[in-house]
Amino acid sequence: MSYKRFDNEDVVVSAESVTAPCWSNNVVNLQVFELNSTQTAATSGKYYYNVYNTGSEVANTAIQFSIAHGNKLGLGAPLYDTSVTGKSYSSTVYGQFRTLIFGDEETNFTFTSGNTTRTPENVLFISVERARYKEKIFPGSLYLKITGSTGAPLHLVDNSLTSSTDTFVDSGRVYSIYSGSGPGGVTDSTVEYGKLFPDVGIIALDGDILSSSDVVAINGTASNWSTTVANNQFFKAIDTGSSFKLRSEETVSSNYVFIRARNAEFNYSNNPSNITGSGELRHSVMIDNPQSYLTAVGLYNDNNDLLAVAKLSTPLIKDFTKEALLRVKLDY
Amino acid sequence: MGYLNNGVVTVDAILTKKGRELLARGDGSFKITQFALSDDEIDYTLYNPSHPSGSQYYGQAIENMPLLEAFPDETKSLKYKLATLPRGTSKLPLLEAGYASIVLKQGASLAITPQTLNYLGATSTFESGGYTATIADVRVLSSFTGVGINTEEAETLNSTQTIGTNVSKTVIGTSINLRATTVNTLFGTRTKLQTTIQIIGRDSGARVTIPITINKVNN
Repeated sequence: MSYKRFDNEDVVVSAESVTAPCWSNNVVNLQVFELNSTQTAATSGKYYYNVYNTGSEVANTAIQFSIAHGNKLGLGAPLYDTSVTGKSYSSTVYGQFRTLIFGDEETNFTFTSGNTTRTPENVLFISVERARYKEKIFPGSLYLKITGSTGAPLHLVDNSLTSSTDTFVDSGRVYSIYSGSGPGGVTDSTVEYGKLFPDVGIIALDGDILSSSDVVAINGTASNWSTTVANNQFFKAIDTGSSFKLRSEETVSSNYVFIRARNAEFNYSNNPSNITGSGELRHSVMIDNPQSYLTAVGLYNDNNDLLAVAKLSTPLIKDFTKEALLRVKLDY
Repeated sequence: MGYLNNGVVTVDAILTKKGRELLARGDGSFKITQFALSDDEIDYTLYNPSHPSGSQYYGQAIENMPLLEAFPDETKSLKYKLATLPRGTSKLPLLEAGYASIVLKQGASLAITPQTLNYLGATSTFESGGYTATIADVRVLSSFTGVGINTEEAETLNSTQTIGTNVSKTVIGTSINLRATTVNTLFGTRTKLQTTIQIIGRDSGARVTIPITINKVNN
């Protein structure tokens, strides 16, 4: 017999959480930020800017994340129709993220300063490219340095490692973003600068407070914002800060299949080089002491369909004095 | 004092084309229930029972050889399966189809009823699980079916139509019926078409590959 059925305990499904740097080529700290002038000049540039790891003329350049400016009153951006107030690119962005994150049209983005809750008009969003964060952002891995033209740089980190409880909104977990020294290291939780939504790969920053502290250098009050200026200045602040650390997290489901070849099993081979034309073993010493060399494992269904194949790196000798235990890992 | 090595060998598996197809089908047919082992790539003529250093060195030329990665084509992997047979066995299962080669005229029919030799203590036997037959180029046959095995998989394979392309087709049965094509255009300027049929014992793993020639008779 060539096929052996598995026992129930031989097939095990395992789910492992795998974390890795978010950015392309497993870069831990993204320090170079580039825009694509074609994209920023296109219609999509009125909504968001794509940020790349290298210039667009460089091979293997890839989008790392996108930035967008939202205004809940639709200010700071051209109206779609001059006869309809409040409906502009910035209101679309705000509404889009609000619906995505909170699941309703009533909840606004709010941030706290001590016991005070702020509801800023302007919110700056970072949407990490899906291929970068894979399944979700790994909480506690955020470090973003943003620097304005005159204000002191801000070192932004999330509080997932120090928070005593996890808070959930419609899109999943939410953590506060404070000033800190490195990933997970909150040093000052007086002012909440933003929120991290790790399950959807989004960071929302309070545009009003960043503007007022001149970190994102936009002159004037909120009503003077323009979407183009906001995205440009937000990008400039990130680019000048020159440090963005983030890790991805994904769950990899694996099938572990244990192959147990007992001492009396699988000691003969149908390999044509092992037998003569009449089926006799080529080497007479193998009649009482047969040896086979295991090189591949095939996993089959009940219909003998070969579903998966695993190869060994070197042949594994098998005879009546040896048993083999192999663990085959099959990822989906 | 040394530590005993109680580790297991871990190897990564890849899905075959068939595995991906069944996984995508999502009908429960992708369910791993059994395994087989093979010694593909091993050349037993390298085994040297005359090695001057003794039996520990008989397999020296085989044991450290590097192996190629797995192929996703299920027909190219697990070709030579390892078998469980009683100690002292001197003959291994062989598949006998009754033909060393097959030559058919256009439109001619043939039934192949394979037998397995040296299997389960019998000189010759028909395997209860039947035989898998794969024609390498389905175009050369106008019909290709297996009979005698009534599992769902066998019936599905037998009813599958593959038309117009140079691909393989697999059927299952205890007897394999084939009929040569009557299509002249396949021949072009040639007077014969050639391909192979591979038959595998579904229980024993024994296999045989038979060349097939179709001779043109129509003008």
